[in-house]
Amino acid sequence: MAILINKKTKVLVQGITGTQASFHIQRAKKYGTKIVAGVVPSKKEETHLGVPLFKTVKEAKEATGANASIVFVPAKQAKSAIIEAIDANLDFVVAITSGISVVDMMEIRQRLSNSKTILIGPNTPGIITPEQAYMGIFPDNIHKKGEIGLISRSSTLTYEVVLELNKLGLGQSTIVGLGDDFIIGASFIDIIEKFNNDAKTKAIVLIAGIGGNLEIETAKRYAEIKHKKPVIALMINNPTKVLGYDTFASKIICDGITETEDKKDILRQSGIIVVDDIKSLTNELSKI
Amino acid sequence: MNIHEYQAKRIFKKFGINIPNGIIAYTPNEARDVALQISETGPWVVKAQIHAGSRDDGKFSDKRAGRKGGVRVSKTIDEVYTNADDMLENMLVTNQTDSKGRLVSRVYVEEFIKSAKKFYVSLAIDWVLANVILIVSPIIDNEDVGALTDIPNNFFKLNIGTEREIRTTQAKEILDFMGVNSDAKEMKSFINRLLKVFYAYDATMIEINPIGIAKDGEIWALDAKICFDRNSLYRHPDITKMADESEVSERELIALKNGFQYKELNSGIGIIVNGDGLAINTINEAQNIGLDTACFLNLKGGVDRDKIATSIKLIMTNPKVDGIFINILGGFLRCNLIADGILNVADDLGLNIPLVVRFEGTNKDEATEILYKSKLPLLIAEDTFTGLNMLKRAIEEEI
Repeated sequence: MAILINKKTKVLVQGITGTQASFHIQRAKKYGTKIVAGVVPSKKEETHLGVPLFKTVKEAKEATGANASIVFVPAKQAKSAIIEAIDANLDFVVAITSGISVVDMMEIRQRLSNSKTILIGPNTPGIITPEQAYMGIFPDNIHKKGEIGLISRSSTLTYEVVLELNKLGLGQSTIVGLGDDFIIGASFIDIIEKFNNDAKTKAIVLIAGIGGNLEIETAKRYAEIKHKKPVIALMINNPTKVLGYDTFASKIICDGITETEDKKDILRQSGIIVVDDIKSLTNELSKI
Repeated sequence: MNIHEYQAKRIFKKFGINIPNGIIAYTPNEARDVALQISETGPWVVKAQIHAGSRDDGKFSDKRAGRKGGVRVSKTIDEVYTNADDMLENMLVTNQTDSKGRLVSRVYVEEFIKSAKKFYVSLAIDWVLANVILIVSPIIDNEDVGALTDIPNNFFKLNIGTEREIRTTQAKEILDFMGVNSDAKEMKSFINRLLKVFYAYDATMIEINPIGIAKDGEIWALDAKICFDRNSLYRHPDITKMADESEVSERELIALKNGFQYKELNSGIGIIVNGDGLAINTINEAQNIGLDTACFLNLKGGVDRDKIATSIKLIMTNPKVDGIFINILGGFLRCNLIADGILNVADDLGLNIPLVVRFEGTNKDEATEILYKSKLPLLIAEDTFTGLNMLKRAIEEEI
């Protein structure tokens, strides 16, 4: 088992004909991902990369039974593409696109609140169940099958962590990149709940983002869950102060909790193990 | 993206928000002339225009400006001249700038509005809830960190729903919180005009510190700050034109134009990465082994060969950089494009400082092959830790 994606997941691709999409979809197919359809509103050909093309998500879903979508559509058109996938009631949508505007994301979140569809991203490397299938732009061959569930707000740190886990022989059940943008779809707690119900996952690693209050919300809700798996959060201190987004107004919105140390305390109080570098993370994991 | 106060005020004016009469000036003489145009008798306020807050509490680096900050009430026309003269071409250091401060190249001269009460007002985004939040507070000192320990008492927060405006009853709640007994309709229309600006321009924050409520109940925006969403700028060419390029370093600007992020910190090594998380992890690990970071460049998911080469050049030509670490975990970004970029730059400029490259992920083997074949004097590392240690040794050998 795994969460969200496995080799049976029927994936449709929105914006499949772009150069980047073509490159990454070919690799995903080779990996074992079941790519069943491509959606291109202005389609001229019947197939692309051997995948049948459709004009709408709805058509593609009806014809192929696709239950998930990966979005490679450029930022300016991404909102309508994502909303189309939500309206078609797909189980989940993975949005690779970066640069979607804040106002578009607020509207997308509004739509998601009345829907069962889960949005992963945007600006995410995607999701991967090692040695089965992936939807995203993952590097080849670095992910190993195993029992650690990974949820991350930083794409590049995810790769760095996976490489260290592999060195210790710690494989991964599923890796979920939540996306690096300020406003995202699914949050840590949504995915933690899924890992809790996954027999294959023994422990969950959470890679925190830089700034923001998503981790605080996670801690509050994690504390309320009764039966749960151990969660270890990696929160790296931000030495530069030039990254992140702590304005006076955002400090007020976050109820004044913006210092990394304060956030760590809140996470610890909820029962989450907190570490501040990758070495300590692997140390904690080898204890479990 | 940020704009100056006077530019934000022009936008406010278009939306019917009360702002004091004001004109921008680039020289002390101009400041005096525009002051007389605004009012014959004063008083006036002279305000340094930089993209950073806490100007009032700031200090100028050149002592000729005295100890006063970047916002000065001037009672006589001579004071307007002197204050403008003090500020212009001087560096203003505030809590929101670095220690060098920001160069004041223009001042805004405006009429002084007498207000009975002053308040902090902002519209900002709760990133977790994906909502716009209105904040009102009697605390007009942005550095009053103590106020943050009692949010409910010091700050009134209101979630702006999909209707994108507030009702009279909510305006009444705001006034009650402020302890002001004035017309709720006036407050409602003030806030709703701000919301119109917010949504019309895809702002991510509007902050007015302070608003002034005059004796007659009229509400004035005595200050104005608007931050815009970079990802929405394509819808607002008029805002893009307002960007003050003198506010970012030349290198930063080149990186921005290529779609990348470039930041200068101290002096030491230059880091090229492809993600914020990786940037921070690399800077931290460098610090752990005693390497300071001069600057870093985040190529994000860049896929354009030429743009990548241009940006690598930024780091290679920064005189404060004594060694370079290129640390790439390719997903979307393909390692071979970086390798091409390195070759391209080395062709142009030669390689005269130590360079360590670490590739992992998409097209790693192809990229490593390109570097080996080039016979360039660079080092290839397997991971971040090893790479930084190799660089440290190489820098020490150079000296």
